Amino acid sequence: MKEKIKLALAQISSRRENKKENLQKIEEFTIKAKEQAADLVIFPELSLTGYVVHDQIYELAEIIPGPSTKRIEDLAKKTGMHIIFGMPELSEKTEATIFNTAVFVGPNGFIGRYRKMYLPTHSVFEEKRYFRPGYQTASFDTTLGNIGLCICYDIFFPEVFRLTRLKGAELIVCISASPAVRRSYFEILTAARALENTAFLAYVNLVGVEDGLQFWGGSRLVSPTGDILAKAKYDEEDFVICEVDYSNIRPAETFIPTLRDLRPELFDKLKKHAELF
Amino acid sequence: MKLTPTVLELDLPEVEKRIRRFIKEYVEKAGADGIVLGLSGGIDSGTVAALSSLAIGGGRVIGLMLPEKETYNSKDIDDAKCVAEKFGLKTQICDITPVLESFYKTIPIFDQADKLCKGNIKARTRMIYLYYYANKLNRIVCGSSDKSETMMGYFTKWGDVAADLSPIMDLYKTQVRKLAEHLGIPPELASKSSTPALWPNQLAETELGIKYETLDLILYGLERFMTTEEIAQQLSVEKALIEKVKSRWLATEHKRRMPLAAKIEYRTVGADFRLPRHTY
Repeated sequence: MKEKIKLALAQISSRRENKKENLQKIEEFTIKAKEQAADLVIFPELSLTGYVVHDQIYELAEIIPGPSTKRIEDLAKKTGMHIIFGMPELSEKTEATIFNTAVFVGPNGFIGRYRKMYLPTHSVFEEKRYFRPGYQTASFDTTLGNIGLCICYDIFFPEVFRLTRLKGAELIVCISASPAVRRSYFEILTAARALENTAFLAYVNLVGVEDGLQFWGGSRLVSPTGDILAKAKYDEEDFVICEVDYSNIRPAETFIPTLRDLRPELFDKLKKHAELF
Repeated sequence: MKLTPTVLELDLPEVEKRIRRFIKEYVEKAGADGIVLGLSGGIDSGTVAALSSLAIGGGRVIGLMLPEKETYNSKDIDDAKCVAEKFGLKTQICDITPVLESFYKTIPIFDQADKLCKGNIKARTRMIYLYYYANKLNRIVCGSSDKSETMMGYFTKWGDVAADLSPIMDLYKTQVRKLAEHLGIPPELASKSSTPALWPNQLAETELGIKYETLDLILYGLERFMTTEEIAQQLSVEKALIEKVKSRWLATEHKRRMPLAAKIEYRTVGADFRLPRHTY
């Protein structure tokens, strides 16, 4: 495993319902990431299709493996890159059950997927109308380290990140489609989730305007002590190269020993009260 | 939550930036050559004219002044021209009086004394002019409705509210005034009394029976699910006033929606037919 890896935060806008154009953009940014010696390039939530697609999601969703993931796998093989991106995933066992999924591929092909666990269905969001939630956290032991995946609204639930961290992730990648009115929440929570878990957190948000909804960008890499190591522009497409130095985790864990101080018995109580309140 | 005027304060540079981006992106994606908007000389249309010009350049914005003889006010024309000059947008004046008179003459049941029905003809006629320009010149119609009027249903259905995009519809009137001043619209215009100009001497606050400073705080409370009791207590006003505002807001929802369709089939327009709104 590498001690240091280079990330490319590919903060793109997606053309809604246009997978061809979005795949083209993913390819362009991946090649750019390769040229800048990045190991892993990360794209936003549902970057394959755009976020506000409503009923069209049924036409756009694909099974994994499917045409789009195959194309990204080929791209990863061709460039030797690791790639994370978001797409609507059609369950292979049913006709119209869809997940909001983060896909992780590498030079040797498909590494894994994460199905968003918390689906916002309030305010302007209507994800539960379209998606089935995932039931598993995801962390993958790779040549780039143990990397966990989360999506957007999951960040409001510390238990998702905690579990991902406890399963071994030292870098947690959170892909997102967060609108501008919620920027301040994410700026706080990205730092909090990294700090409380003493893990690196790479947050990659969508930009652009979809159906009047403005996505704010502001993608970032946060250190295990909550510092912002790199940050993309607000509101416009950007591409940021940054470095994860895993040797910083040990001193962070000793200085802020939250993992040592975990109290498992509280989780039992939490479970009991979460069921009853 | 404490209902004081501070809750309505905005990060004005950020709001300006977001609305400019919203307008620019819409026009670009629509492949439109520009914007057409009604320029009444009031604060809402002046603010939208300013934002539109800042977003895409005044050379691509036409402000239509659509006066008619009953409500003609040279001060409004001067105020509209003042905004147009400051933000570099083009203007045209079309006197809609002959068209209105044709309606009055040709509608068999026309009632001169019913000023509301008559006034609504004016608002809908203005809409027709705006959409003619938009069609003919490949432009989009930018609306000037604010959140206070929209929530109160204080507009003409398919009239002044008709537009392709509504950049300030999520801002209360008192917020629009502050945004206007931030944009450099003269303070005397920013604080000018609002009128829909449907009949002579019509004033919005008189008709609504409440000052915008109070109305906006009531609507802000309702928006955030506060009870009428809580709002009345916090603002030290009669609960009956809050209930009046609330019932007017709820009763006018039909004006803010597509026409109600009878649910017969699998997916229904305006109900469960949910499609992305493409502007291109």
